[in-house]
Amino acid sequence: MSYVAIKGGTEAITASKALYKKMLAGEFPDIDGVQGQLLFGLDRIMGEGALYSQQMGIRAIEYSGCDLLEAAFYLRAHRSTCRRAGIAETVRTEDIRLVRRISSAFKEIPGGQILGPSSDYLFKLLAEKRPVPGPSTIPVAAARGKVAGALDELRRQERILQLEVDQEEPFDITRATPLPPYPRSSLMQMMARGETGSMLAFAYTSLRGYGDVHPTIGELRLGMVALETTHPFTGNRVTVGEIRVTAVESVGSFKKDPRDGKLRLATGFGFCFGFNETKAIAMSILDLAMTWPSFSIGGEDGVATSPEMIMHHIDGIESMGFTNHFKMPHYVTFQADLHTFNKAKDNKHHD
Amino acid sequence: MTSPSRPTSTPSTRRKTINTMTEPTFGFFDQDTKKEIRRALLKAVSLPGYTVPFASREMPIARGWGTGGLQITLSLIEEDDVLKVIDQGCDGSVNAVNIRDFIVATTGVRTTCHTSDATVIQSRHRIPEQPLTENQILVLQVPVPEVLTTVEPDTGRQKDMHAHRDYSRLWVLLYEDTAQFGDSRISSRYPVAVHDHYVMDPSPIPRYDIPRLHNNPALLLFGAGREKRIYAIPPFTTVTPLVFADRPFRIETFDGICCERCGTSGVFFDQVQREDGTHYYCSDTDNCDSMLKRKQNAA
Repeated sequence: MSYVAIKGGTEAITASKALYKKMLAGEFPDIDGVQGQLLFGLDRIMGEGALYSQQMGIRAIEYSGCDLLEAAFYLRAHRSTCRRAGIAETVRTEDIRLVRRISSAFKEIPGGQILGPSSDYLFKLLAEKRPVPGPSTIPVAAARGKVAGALDELRRQERILQLEVDQEEPFDITRATPLPPYPRSSLMQMMARGETGSMLAFAYTSLRGYGDVHPTIGELRLGMVALETTHPFTGNRVTVGEIRVTAVESVGSFKKDPRDGKLRLATGFGFCFGFNETKAIAMSILDLAMTWPSFSIGGEDGVATSPEMIMHHIDGIESMGFTNHFKMPHYVTFQADLHTFNKAKDNKHHD
Repeated sequence: MTSPSRPTSTPSTRRKTINTMTEPTFGFFDQDTKKEIRRALLKAVSLPGYTVPFASREMPIARGWGTGGLQITLSLIEEDDVLKVIDQGCDGSVNAVNIRDFIVATTGVRTTCHTSDATVIQSRHRIPEQPLTENQILVLQVPVPEVLTTVEPDTGRQKDMHAHRDYSRLWVLLYEDTAQFGDSRISSRYPVAVHDHYVMDPSPIPRYDIPRLHNNPALLLFGAGREKRIYAIPPFTTVTPLVFADRPFRIETFDGICCERCGTSGVFFDQVQREDGTHYYCSDTDNCDSMLKRKQNAA
């Protein structure tokens, strides 16, 4: 496996920038009724607020004055008032109608690389004018059918570590508190709702010194996917709607598989509501670090390899709530603190 | 083919008058920034392999996307320079195109895809196949400048270890991998000792490129923007990979393989998987073009 460039340079970048500007201007197919300029803020809070509702999301951004963590908090609170309709069928990443799909691991992948709308190659210069719609003839790849995973071939050759298949129902962190050892599904849910910034910080520790070194993005997908569920009365499978999602699979280091002694590569998976590449990449790195700590070249005791650490520190709404509670009066506790301080044995000051 | 040469003095005839309040200067940076980076570069050249801290400016591209290389290039480039930018050996890959566009937009310098025509080459993950000359500067983008990070994350302790030339933990890491897997698992950015002193990270070039660091006639500069470090290998400097005396250094080999496009063998190849099997093409696209041209001319 080699790490090679995404080629097709100039035309791809030009089209990508135009498509991105068009998307922000609200002229993007499949993104109906969204205020384009709010797209990434909206996607971020729908993920962290764990409620996919564009209308409520836009209202939350308005109510919070564009403090996005606060906006996610509105959604999370609103979520408590919503009745749960049912459980959707498992979403498969190959069913995502692609808007963007890149692999940093392989130059060519079945189904092709699609640069899609991206701000990656926009120069961050404030002197430039605000994004405006580009030409309207940009082709959109979203109409493709099923596209197989970029790592499928390596997986077929059994060169990738396989997780023990968990046949149990997924743990639901909104209905019960997970306890250690944490079921994988509970960790994945925590991360799917985790705050982008916190996850980024933890993932970054594992990239630069406190754990694994440099994972490669096997595949990153952005697109729309249909949600299906079984109708509670008719029992028929029905499509509820379509959501924007981001999925990432990253590849780490290799080691002997303890099960049969063969060398295998470790992978991590990230998935979230909306277009949020940073979060999905961070999640895949955290998954890699926690699931396969012994495969980390730099050692097993990195910050990000601890499920305890990740489980309890990545929820933005919880950490923001507690951090902000310090603004409340603490007269009684502080008076007690002072009392103890004044009574302390070596407190010469108060003699 | 004439060898390119770096401008020896600063020609001012083509430099237009710039209103510094409204327009960016030649090469984006203000003069103080350039001075600071150039001083770091001089120190780096004086202490081969030593990582020199520098302030590292915020660039209009994301940190980790080549801002270190970009800052070096912009601080040393002159009007008469000819620029080549490559990523993974290719001039046409998106990151290379993006960085080249930015440098051209802020300097107006001429660009080339031909290694032999360039005076300044900024690269990510590859050293061009064609040997470099004394008149060329190769700027490498570096994600992780500190070779000890894997075995010691604390920057203070890393500095101590370098001061004492204490690379024992790195040797232990290499030993453990060799014992378990027959070789180190470090595939790219293999640790090298420079001028028999500092051990440094050569940027994520494949092992194939490591021997070509040794006694290279060109000035090799390394820039890590996110990590705020600059270091250098001056021309004709001893560079040796860390290997055990009884274990030869093994580079990637492509025995019996030649490029499907130009027919060349004995170079570094891109491996491409398609439905109909595995294909190999030159990783260095300029070298591939030259070989193809040579072959067509001969025919």
